[in-house]
Amino acid sequence: MITIIDYNSGNIASVCNALKKLGVEFELSSNPDDVANAKKIIFPGVGRASYAMKQLRKSGLIDVIKNSKVPFLGICLGLQLLTDFSEEDETDCLSIIPGNVKKFGEGLRVPEIGWNKVFFSKPSPLFRDIDDGRYFYFVNSYYFDEEEFAVGKTSYGCEFASVVQKDNFYATQFHPEKSGEVGLELLSNFCELC
Amino acid sequence: MLVIPAIDILDGKCVRLFKGDYNQVKQYADDPVEVARKFERDGAKLLHIVDLDGAKEGSAVNAEMVLDIAKAISIPLQIGGGIRDLDTATRYLENGIDRIILGTSAVMDQSLIKSIIERFGSDRLVVSVDIKDEIVAIKGWIENSDLSLDDFLEILRGIGVKRIIVTDVSRDGALTGPNYDLVEGISGFKVISAGGVSCDEDLKKFKGIEGAIVGKAIYEGTVRLVKNNLAKRIIPCMDVENGRVVKGTNFVDLKDAGDPVELGKFYSESGADELVFLDITATVEKRATLVDLVSKISKNVFIPFTVGGGIKSVEDIRTLLNAGADKVSIGSEAVRNPEFVRESSREFGSQCIVISLDCKLVGAEWELFVKGGREATGIEVIEFARKMEEMGAGELLVNSLDRDGTGKGFDLELLTAISKAVNIPVIASSGAGCKEDFLKAFQVVDACLAASLFHYGKLSVVDLKGYLSDNYLTIRK
Repeated sequence: MITIIDYNSGNIASVCNALKKLGVEFELSSNPDDVANAKKIIFPGVGRASYAMKQLRKSGLIDVIKNSKVPFLGICLGLQLLTDFSEEDETDCLSIIPGNVKKFGEGLRVPEIGWNKVFFSKPSPLFRDIDDGRYFYFVNSYYFDEEEFAVGKTSYGCEFASVVQKDNFYATQFHPEKSGEVGLELLSNFCELC
Repeated sequence: MLVIPAIDILDGKCVRLFKGDYNQVKQYADDPVEVARKFERDGAKLLHIVDLDGAKEGSAVNAEMVLDIAKAISIPLQIGGGIRDLDTATRYLENGIDRIILGTSAVMDQSLIKSIIERFGSDRLVVSVDIKDEIVAIKGWIENSDLSLDDFLEILRGIGVKRIIVTDVSRDGALTGPNYDLVEGISGFKVISAGGVSCDEDLKKFKGIEGAIVGKAIYEGTVRLVKNNLAKRIIPCMDVENGRVVKGTNFVDLKDAGDPVELGKFYSESGADELVFLDITATVEKRATLVDLVSKISKNVFIPFTVGGGIKSVEDIRTLLNAGADKVSIGSEAVRNPEFVRESSREFGSQCIVISLDCKLVGAEWELFVKGGREATGIEVIEFARKMEEMGAGELLVNSLDRDGTGKGFDLELLTAISKAVNIPVIASSGAGCKEDFLKAFQVVDACLAASLFHYGKLSVVDLKGYLSDNYLTIRK
């Protein structure tokens, strides 16, 4: 059973559809007790970092997430919220993975909307049966500037961490639930291997 | 045009020579394999590798390293330097190298070129024509031959060479600007220019050549390899009326091609990068069924999908997103009430707000139309596009009423004007008649949308992608 954190900041429907397709059981919850007792957690997110942090605070989820010891997958904004700080509205985030989230530079179309390649920089169970350099679907105006915990990297004007991993925390900047077959494969790897 | 990053290997390191002089070496990196991987990550579509030791010694000194590079990357690469016999050429061409480059040896022994073309085809061979003071240079540019450029090209033509690299040795590594006259004056070959590029502006000035090799300027950061690595998106669009796809479809392999659920699943699984559903149902009452339909479609579609048609309120958007849509397309309401766009993008994020513009050339300007193109608004399109970006639109979907249904190609002038005016992705719509139309449009836009062309089976997404990819566009396959 996977617990999807539903804190009014995610496009939950797509994640649910993907898990249904994979035949994985899940529940939606914003209740701190449910999240504290979860066996495995997916933390989706779209929208603004400041608003999402407010929602987490309001739901009393901040400490529960920080103290989580079970496999945990952040998606898109769900990755950015795991960091120390986001330039988006100067937002202090969860400080689970050290580093800062920055805005894409000049001369690029922002948001980055579309399919971009992910290159593996370190091994990860998320990548089982997935080839290096496959396309995943990205939608983001900000990027995580990180080396140490990056296991996958992508370039858009500059190189950024598109997949990160630290202890039980995994996260992707792209949307695996919207990245076709290869995205479903990655989600399935999280469900089975992590 | 291709921007081809160069890796020059000397003593196992990644270096650049100044004007081809072995005594003026600048080292850029220790590990050429890692540099190659980085170039691939940055979006290079072809790598150019020169074994400088090999060129000097007349044998493939760094062959092991070159083959290691080929194993480490998945983009094609061409290698030159020290290939003087068929065995060396064969070793490369049978072990993951896409093309070999011959220079010196081509001057000294044309039988080698002939036997390579005979065995591997002319696509696997490039002849490097190094020019120093209007004469063909040899041996890593240390010695000059006595052949003029024209004489040399005549010989190459005669033996079936199709592709050449032209280097002005006096410009290479000097960042003084390419010798445009030299490369553009050559006909009858696919021409790759090498040498002299120092900035993006230099690259823009090339006309009619296949690609340009860039070395030092990439290492020094004055040319960024590719600014935008995103794959160009192909988006089939389905017009849905009363729950059925209209504009007739004739897929033989679908049980019910009018069923949006089945058609959506089909496209999602056959290479489309996104899907758009536009509800053209006339009455509001019947529209309630749309939400149910979106929910059914989304269960089978694991690529982004956009729903549009009659969206008038934040509540409309919320309902569709909750049903499984990833984005919404807003048309008339954005014109009637631009503040609605700001409100929606604040609430849901600009990434899910697509603004659809119906444009028509009226006099010297493009005018915005609403209500399916029936009603003029008097609003100038370019200004409105800028305003939509300011209001928080995430993407613009540009329809041309002049081109819609004509099959005469996308309205490139309109698309270019809008694309230059805004900094958000632009999706071209209306007028696609053949695959060449997509190739042209992708020079200015990020995504192309088409309906009947795909539905009628005139063009498959897979074939279109193959064609675009062969023409060096970045395509997800």
